[in-house]
Amino acid sequence: MVNVLDIKVARDLWSMRLQVLSIALLVAAGVAVFVMSVSNYQALIGAMEAHYRNERFADIFVGMTRAPLSIVDRLREINGIGIVEPRVAEPVRVIREDTNLPISGRVISLPAAGQPLLNCLHLVQGRWPDPLHPEEVIINAAYAEARAVRSGETMAVVLNGRLQGFRVVGTALSPEFIFATRAAVPLPDDRNFVVVWASEDAVASAFDMKGAFNDALMTLAPGAGPQHVLEEVDRLLAPYGGTGAYGRSDQPSHRFLKDELAEQETLSIVMPSVFFGIAAFLLNVVIGRMVEAQRGQIASLKALGFANRTIAFHYFKLVTAIALLGSAIGLVVGRWFAIGVVGSYAAFFRFPSLEAQLEPWLLVAATLVSVGAANLAAASAVYRIAMLAPAEAMRPETPPALHTFSWLQTIGSQRIPLQYVIAARTILGRPVRTLLTTVGIALAIPLILFGLYWFDAIDYMIDVSFGRIERGDAFVTFTEPVSADALYELRAIPGVLEAEVQRVVPITLRAGHRAYRTSATGLDSGSELKVLRDSALRPIAVPSDGIMLSRTIARQLDLEAGDSVTIEVLEGSRPVREVTVRRISDDILGASVTMERTALNRLMREGSVANLATFRIDPGQSERLWSRIRSMPKIEGSSVKALWFALFNETIGGMVVIGALVLSGFGMLIALGVVYNSARIALQERAWELASLRIIGLTRREVSAVIISELVVELIVAIPAGLLIGRYLIELIASARASESFQIPAVIDRSSYAIAALLVIGAAIASFITIRRRIDRLDLVAVLKTRD
Amino acid sequence: MQPLAPVFVARGLTKVYGAGDSRVLALKDVDLDIRQGEFIVLLGPSGSGKSTLLNILGGLDAPTSGTATWRDHELTGASDEQLTTYRREHVGFVFQFYNLIPSLTVEENVRLVAQIASNPMTPAEALELVGLSHRAGHFPSQLSGGEQQRVAVARAIVKRPDILLCDEPTGALDVDTGRLVLAAIAKVNAELNTTTAVITHNSAIAGMAHRVLRLSGGRIVKEEANPRRIRAEDVTW
Repeated sequence: MVNVLDIKVARDLWSMRLQVLSIALLVAAGVAVFVMSVSNYQALIGAMEAHYRNERFADIFVGMTRAPLSIVDRLREINGIGIVEPRVAEPVRVIREDTNLPISGRVISLPAAGQPLLNCLHLVQGRWPDPLHPEEVIINAAYAEARAVRSGETMAVVLNGRLQGFRVVGTALSPEFIFATRAAVPLPDDRNFVVVWASEDAVASAFDMKGAFNDALMTLAPGAGPQHVLEEVDRLLAPYGGTGAYGRSDQPSHRFLKDELAEQETLSIVMPSVFFGIAAFLLNVVIGRMVEAQRGQIASLKALGFANRTIAFHYFKLVTAIALLGSAIGLVVGRWFAIGVVGSYAAFFRFPSLEAQLEPWLLVAATLVSVGAANLAAASAVYRIAMLAPAEAMRPETPPALHTFSWLQTIGSQRIPLQYVIAARTILGRPVRTLLTTVGIALAIPLILFGLYWFDAIDYMIDVSFGRIERGDAFVTFTEPVSADALYELRAIPGVLEAEVQRVVPITLRAGHRAYRTSATGLDSGSELKVLRDSALRPIAVPSDGIMLSRTIARQLDLEAGDSVTIEVLEGSRPVREVTVRRISDDILGASVTMERTALNRLMREGSVANLATFRIDPGQSERLWSRIRSMPKIEGSSVKALWFALFNETIGGMVVIGALVLSGFGMLIALGVVYNSARIALQERAWELASLRIIGLTRREVSAVIISELVVELIVAIPAGLLIGRYLIELIASARASESFQIPAVIDRSSYAIAALLVIGAAIASFITIRRRIDRLDLVAVLKTRD
Repeated sequence: MQPLAPVFVARGLTKVYGAGDSRVLALKDVDLDIRQGEFIVLLGPSGSGKSTLLNILGGLDAPTSGTATWRDHELTGASDEQLTTYRREHVGFVFQFYNLIPSLTVEENVRLVAQIASNPMTPAEALELVGLSHRAGHFPSQLSGGEQQRVAVARAIVKRPDILLCDEPTGALDVDTGRLVLAAIAKVNAELNTTTAVITHNSAIAGMAHRVLRLSGGRIVKEEANPRRIRAEDVTW
């Protein structure tokens, strides 16, 4: 025999189906965003860890001028070192017929046996090179895809100044080139940077490295600390021109990946958690009011002798059914979106396998939070009603202590139509309920803003980075420092509108026992094509002597303006110098170390030289310009802003846009759910009163005005409050999540505020229309038969 | 007082609720004339069809078949807007559960109707008629049931309605307060010449009417005129 109360649960669910659906969708949106984002973030972390593990990513990296292979055994003897993999790694240039753009890259030797011991390759396509054919090479998959290079194609590579032909037999992913960035170029571009893995023989003979190596990868023995090992390696390799061993945290690709993941954490964990938290709160508000609207029924059940526990259990079933329905929709939709969104990551994060994860704890946590939030609300509403005497609870709730507010009675004394007086008294007479509804609507707004914010943040970053800081249209790097007079040569090329040079030097900064590996940029004072700016976008002048540090680096090294710091240069004669920190900058585009160029030249004990040029170009003459530049000596690589933008839009842009669209879409769904439920429940609670107004002759429009004007007042307060809350939350998240090389600014465009507000107003209008329809259909006769 | 020409004319009114097995015949082929200024009491047990008849007369419900006209207003087949206008301009309602707006004061509840009427009396006059001037500033929740019902009467008559329809006006009241309400209704009928129909299952009230219609099973089974009407003060139950 089915329990009659269970039949009531089923019937209640059915009769309130639109309301049930809107609440379930609210839950679903929160759950979906949470599940999708967290599982995607886990997918990224999981893919990175698997890639590092499977391809045996090294713990320690070191470069040197040239060391005999006999040193390798001495490296192995260092206490704390595990595996040592010596290799030859050198910069190369690639010549292609179809472009005049200089393409730079690195060639890395592969042992004769095939796979190296560390930083193994994950073959994406093709095969392993045949040891008998030294011309066979593997290249990085990112470049191969960007330039559509197929297996079997030949490649013209300039090795040590000599042009050599290689045949591509495969493409691969490597844990050290997940991001194939070059330190010197501001805009890394897969099209213009290639990694070539060639046989040991071919590379060693091209660079005169037979029986020697200039690069080594190492693992730490289990339990070994890196500090001692790094010092020992440096000591051992110092005579061979060692440029300083460093750990993963200083490895360029890994450092960049870490920062990207930190950003993803904001987008994938922090924001969705706040989002889900707000959704759970809104669920609480909506369910609480829904149960309170059943006051009469609860009182009747109590009067009939049902125990509070039984009644509470009855409502537990009702709201749990709604929360479970929502969670189920949310899990399915979240999983579905997770698969789609994780697909958009693949273009950016180059991992061998990247699949949406769905861990059981995530399902359980998301479901528990929504069921918990719903029941918390239901239980407190049932408790409040159950505490009243049944007779008291059966009477409709009278506006509490209306008469004690004498000033309320004077509202709208004569002039305002009385339907607005009714609305005003309801708003003021039930301040807690009004506040909850208003807060509920207000909190839906940040959820929409969260999504829109990412568009603004990206636009802002692009505008600031490439409109105001890096103002050049293109960059070239030189294989070695060239006289700054090269500038005149560059300016003379037809199509070059403006040109400037920079000196970029890899360095390690040391302060006490702390060290930070980066590069220092020497900038001419008054530089126009690169303008450093503080967080308020004011230009920062380059100090004429000493160095300027980003705050993130200064903090890591515990430095302040006026302190002195050791610079160890990692190229050329490798001078070690003490310099004074002249300024700590709050620059917004990653961590940087900047000096005046001639000061850097002096520090390097070199003449007025540079190794990077940036210039503005006339797009009409770019082909001729690039063909001239390519023919210049000592040109290494290039990047072009316009091409970089296109790539950006395909990768980061696409990834963020999808995430942001999903986030704001779900935000809108929640806004609709909250506004609709507020209106719907207000109508349910007041149906009797509204029908009475209709009976005594008020028109539908006049009666609708009562409910709608209440909601309009709540919206007028909620929208600005919601926009402010949204701004505050975003500022809070942005400041808490500022990563080392990337600071996501809390910028929200006016149009985003407008869109968020309009979407909520749109949701309100849609709700008004359904409310108006319900008022039109009010059963006047039925209302007369019952008291409420 | 001598009744005049009929203002309400109903012919063959039939009302069916539901369909199929759950079909309920609430009114069966009812003919009825009500004259200007007449005080009618509709008597009958629960389910006899009296509320349905009153709701049709008041423009709250539409018959399944038959016609109902008030003067030159055709009530059957009228649109919701036309019925709203009819109620707004001509009909005053008093219900068993008062149907006052809890967030409006006594005076405001009355003014609510006055503000939408074309030729209303002042709310003060209406409250004076029901003897509640001293309660004008109170909220309904501060009044007794009888007082609330008298506010409902004041609200119904403030527009100087042509018809006053009362559905169990004393149903929720004790004898003493019920008498006060009935007195107010009778006073309006007498002083304003308002055509009045009162529904009740309390036959004691019947003595106040010019004419008493007894309903049973959806039909008017008996119709009698009172040669001598009793005063509200003399009603007992």
